[in-house]
Amino acid sequence: MARNETAIEVNNITKNFKVYLDKGAQLKERLLFRKRNKYELRQVLKGISFTVKKGEAVGLIGHNGCGKSTTLKLLTRIMYPDSGSITMNGRVSSLIELGAGFHPDMSGRENIYTNAAIFGLTKKEIDARLKDIVDFSELEEFIDNPVRTYSSGMYMRLAFSVAINVDADILLIDEILAVGDANFQAKCFNKLKEIKAQGTTIVIVSHSLGQIEQICDRSIWIHEGLIRAEGPPKETDLEYLDYMGQKLQEHTKKELAEKKAEEEKKAAEAGEEAVQAQEEEEEENDNKRWGSGKARIKKITALTSDGAEQRVFRTGEDIVFRIDYTVKEKIPDAVVGIGIFNRDGVQCYGTNTRIDKLPEFELTKSGTAELVLKNVGLLAGEYLLDFAIETGDGIPVDYFREAYKIEMITRSGDVGISRIDHKWSI
Amino acid sequence: MNTIKELYAYRQMIFSLVKKDLRGRYKGSVLGFLWTFINPLFQLIVYTMVFSFILKSNIERYYLYLFVALIPWIFFSSSITVGAASVVAQKDLVKKIYFPRMVIPISYVTSCFVNMLLCFIVIFAVIIITGVGVNFVALLALPIIMLVEYILALGMAMLTSAVTVYFRDLEHILGIISMAWMYMTPIMYDKSIVPERLQPVFNINPMTHVIECYRSVLYEKSFPDLSSLFSAVALGVLFLMLGCLVFNKLQKHFAEEL
Repeated sequence: MARNETAIEVNNITKNFKVYLDKGAQLKERLLFRKRNKYELRQVLKGISFTVKKGEAVGLIGHNGCGKSTTLKLLTRIMYPDSGSITMNGRVSSLIELGAGFHPDMSGRENIYTNAAIFGLTKKEIDARLKDIVDFSELEEFIDNPVRTYSSGMYMRLAFSVAINVDADILLIDEILAVGDANFQAKCFNKLKEIKAQGTTIVIVSHSLGQIEQICDRSIWIHEGLIRAEGPPKETDLEYLDYMGQKLQEHTKKELAEKKAEEEKKAAEAGEEAVQAQEEEEEENDNKRWGSGKARIKKITALTSDGAEQRVFRTGEDIVFRIDYTVKEKIPDAVVGIGIFNRDGVQCYGTNTRIDKLPEFELTKSGTAELVLKNVGLLAGEYLLDFAIETGDGIPVDYFREAYKIEMITRSGDVGISRIDHKWSI
Repeated sequence: MNTIKELYAYRQMIFSLVKKDLRGRYKGSVLGFLWTFINPLFQLIVYTMVFSFILKSNIERYYLYLFVALIPWIFFSSSITVGAASVVAQKDLVKKIYFPRMVIPISYVTSCFVNMLLCFIVIFAVIIITGVGVNFVALLALPIIMLVEYILALGMAMLTSAVTVYFRDLEHILGIISMAWMYMTPIMYDKSIVPERLQPVFNINPMTHVIECYRSVLYEKSFPDLSSLFSAVALGVLFLMLGCLVFNKLQKHFAEEL
């Protein structure tokens, strides 16, 4: 078939959702409480048009609630647009809800038949694909056991195997590649590439820009129901990331400002001293904090290398931490440390002045310590930071667990915890 | 036309849904699939007892008279009442994945239909054992009658299942309607006892003709007056077309309403 043939044509589609404030589903309720039938129309898509050529792979990106998943649902025809039109040429298979129609009491084999039938395959076609499906799922031994005995990973593997072996002309994928273990994910990914090479049109919705960059020829950035940018993934994704980064920073800045304003207001109301007393009391009660209390960490700030206060950083950037502390009693042999933990509680990095072989120093009066982390390689996600002041023999003076939170954003598709500087020569 | 082509492509899904429904119906019970036969058989025994000893009817072999009408009626009424909830019952599928939505009412009605066919095995067994016998020429009309009833039931099920998505009360309202409809159809009595001025109502009712045809084949052993079926066929096709039309229009918002 001609390469230029259009597989998907989306023409100026809009979609509204009715958000009922309090909906009555029964006649009685509808008649009695007419007022309750009020709803708000929320326009999710405000006129989106794009075409996808046969054999092209397109990624839809955008933040939560921008309408990218709705677009995909409209493409699968689970829902219909309020206006505009969608033309799809060829058999469509969707990896949106895997395992729809799986029956827990039926065997894996029977479920393959039921599930594939939902994709519109005939018995003959399923027979022909059965071996491929079972092979791909790696469930040969369990295929005649009821699906309820499967682990969730096995379940997803079976479901994915069916969906991907439908031999669709158009494949729609929503956040799919989180199936099973890393090995199986890699296998799915390779299969997708293989399918693409065979000329299948693919539309992917994903948060993983790395995956989109690897598979897609084009990214479409949907923002508040409209297409904001469109083009090669490398460029569009970057644009999107820039925007998201800015937005996150704005958001955290706003939060910071609000917090500050609140504190100031409080201070003005109750007088400085009262607040301080209260603050201290609060801190004492905090079980995330312990130590002799001879010195205390008063405030932690994260900054960019330019000195701007910020909580969101890009992988590879420098991060500067400024630690303000107060001293109540002289500490002759102080050590300051930091610990970085990811959301799973795994320590990603930790160091202190003793590890770094810095001389123990004397803390006599309040002041500020600064720590610069160079080229932080941590990959996308939220990180919790512990800060601590200890004495030379390791007795905590003020150990502050989860004292600070930063967020990392990553443009590339690396996986793991931290980027390792690397070079290939092949 | 496209719809028909698509439904044909999804025939395997219809087939597997019917199978699932039939197998699931008596799932977990000791006798399992046997209930398909035991149920109508015991029903028949109860009717025989009641109408032979207590409520004596002057209709000869009343139990059979009633039974050959009741089994087709049960198919029809469950198609529209339980069938009404069929789309709602499959909401997980509807919300998650695309397939021609008509597959749902079609497979539900078909599974009821298969159930009726199985009950007919009991009917034939009773006819033969009690020595009533069959008229083979008349039997040739049976598939036609069944087909007409199937079309009627399917049309109704399309209509009710689609509307129920938006208006859940319909399911319960239909319970009442179907009961009234049953008494407005000559199932427990003969049409001849219906007062003259009510006769037109009975004649409009397509099920009247369907039931009378069944009875004529299985009870009277005579070839039915198929001309009386014409109006039933016409109404059946009309219902089906209307059902499809309404269903097609309403199905676009199923995923949002469910």
